[in-house]
Amino acid sequence: MVVEVPRWTNAKMEIATKDPLNPIKQDVKKGKLRYVANVFPHKGYIWNYGAIPQTWEDPGHKDENTGCCGDNDPIDVCEIGSKVCSRGEVIKVKVLGTLALIDEGETDWKIIAINVEDPEAGNYNDINDVRRLKPGYLEATVDWFRRYKVPDGKPENQFAFNGEFKDKDFAVSVIKSTHEHWKALIAKKTDGGEINCTNLTVSDSPFCCSQECAKATVDAAPPGKAANPIPPEVDKWFYYQKN
Amino acid sequence: MRAPAGLVRLLAARGGGRPPRRCLGAMARYGTEQRGRPNSPDYRLYFKNADGKYISPFHDIPLFAGSKEDKEIPAKRSKTTGTEVLFNMIVEVPRWTNAKMEIATEEPLNPIKQDIKKGKLRYVANIFPHKGYIWNYGALPQTWEDPNHRDNNTGCCGDNDPIDVCEIGSKIRSSGEIVQVKVLGVLALVDEGETDWKIIAIGVDDPEAQKIHDIDDVKKHKPGYLEATVDWFRLYKVPDGKPENQFAFNGEFKDKDFAVEIIKSTHEYWKALLHKKADGGTIKCTNVLVSGSPFCCSEEDARSIVQSAPVPVNGDSVSSDVDSWHFFPK
Repeated sequence: MVVEVPRWTNAKMEIATKDPLNPIKQDVKKGKLRYVANVFPHKGYIWNYGAIPQTWEDPGHKDENTGCCGDNDPIDVCEIGSKVCSRGEVIKVKVLGTLALIDEGETDWKIIAINVEDPEAGNYNDINDVRRLKPGYLEATVDWFRRYKVPDGKPENQFAFNGEFKDKDFAVSVIKSTHEHWKALIAKKTDGGEINCTNLTVSDSPFCCSQECAKATVDAAPPGKAANPIPPEVDKWFYYQKN
Repeated sequence: MRAPAGLVRLLAARGGGRPPRRCLGAMARYGTEQRGRPNSPDYRLYFKNADGKYISPFHDIPLFAGSKEDKEIPAKRSKTTGTEVLFNMIVEVPRWTNAKMEIATEEPLNPIKQDIKKGKLRYVANIFPHKGYIWNYGALPQTWEDPNHRDNNTGCCGDNDPIDVCEIGSKIRSSGEIVQVKVLGVLALVDEGETDWKIIAIGVDDPEAQKIHDIDDVKKHKPGYLEATVDWFRLYKVPDGKPENQFAFNGEFKDKDFAVEIIKSTHEYWKALLHKKADGGTIKCTNVLVSGSPFCCSEEDARSIVQSAPVPVNGDSVSSDVDSWHFFPK
């Protein structure tokens, strides 16, 4: 898993699928840096959030479970361990299950996983272990994904399977099919549109490039500097009328 | 508005890492001075008033904002809805942080420090679904929950501290910040068998302060927040092996008028303490501005108290155990 967003932070960091070497960058919407809202009782993201490498939700493919096309991104992961990981950290995870989110009409599977280094990882082998050992966490996860864009004026999101979590075996098969879509992409068998497939190690890929070329890409980016402050509006808590 | 020369933006420490500064508050009222190292036992945050004198936040900051001791600018008061009583709040813990920062009632000039229990720096647990403290948390100056007095409402004695406040506005405040707040209500916590009122308040500068005047407005504009507050106080010590806490009034919030009465009575206990009419035990009543108090000290004495504290340095990192989320059966 590539960690994009540490738990409890708000900055919407993502793998830049359209930039060569796909660095992590902060999403920009309507010309502004994007920060996810704090939807009460939640603070920022409630798991370490990121992506599984070498996967791709193909927008040219309609998923039979959700009835929707893929969102054109690697498959997303919610890592539920205790540690707050760092942005850019690459960790090994055990897959436990999956949630079938339909985000603004696109298929957007959310893999539920735990860091293999988590002290409790041995107790987690499937989705029921999460229900048992972290009661409320899965419900909070559905709640979060249902509502997280409402403060931006978007409607509540929908789910396939009534928002139920599917188990580990199901999740692994979803991951495998997005891996197949990625293989087709990287071999230029599928048209990825603006996706940048530049890579260093995928041996038969027509997009493979050299270390010199990769270095030139990085050197062309602006030099590293100290962070800007986060605007205080990001700290606001959004409330909804309870039923 | 008369502002001192060289007015600088407040940079009170928010949990470590920043270089130490001497600053004056954004409203030129109060400032803080860091000593020692953040996230360590020797960290202290001392307070200064607008004249640059070291003061005790416990004793030398007026409880009532806009009082003549407060030297408050009259124009600011008229921005409120007229007859509301405003209080000064000392922020100890910013929302969503874990370090248990408190006014050191047993040290002269009562700086803010991090609580230590069983020899370790104390960090409050993350009680799922909550992250750290869910409000800006602190105290009202010039109040004291007298441990020699048994409260009629709770049946328990006071916890020997200033009265606590949960500030529910949007902004994340800084540790050491002094905020003018409107009181909205109060929760009667019985924490480990001691009376421990929790005042619910909102900063007068909050964008929603115009709409929120009493406890029912909190229910209306921030549904779930009061329930989460009871939940938090009930469970927050359970990960440390303590039992769930109890409440008077079945955990119901009492309204603003009731809250103001509670505050006034803890203010009376404090007055008795400062005039040596009540026994404060190990409480340090050293102050600079409470006229008539036998504990009043000079500016020079105050300065030497601060200067004898360790030199300020940058912060230590915090253990990752602090990030664990504690779950409870539903």
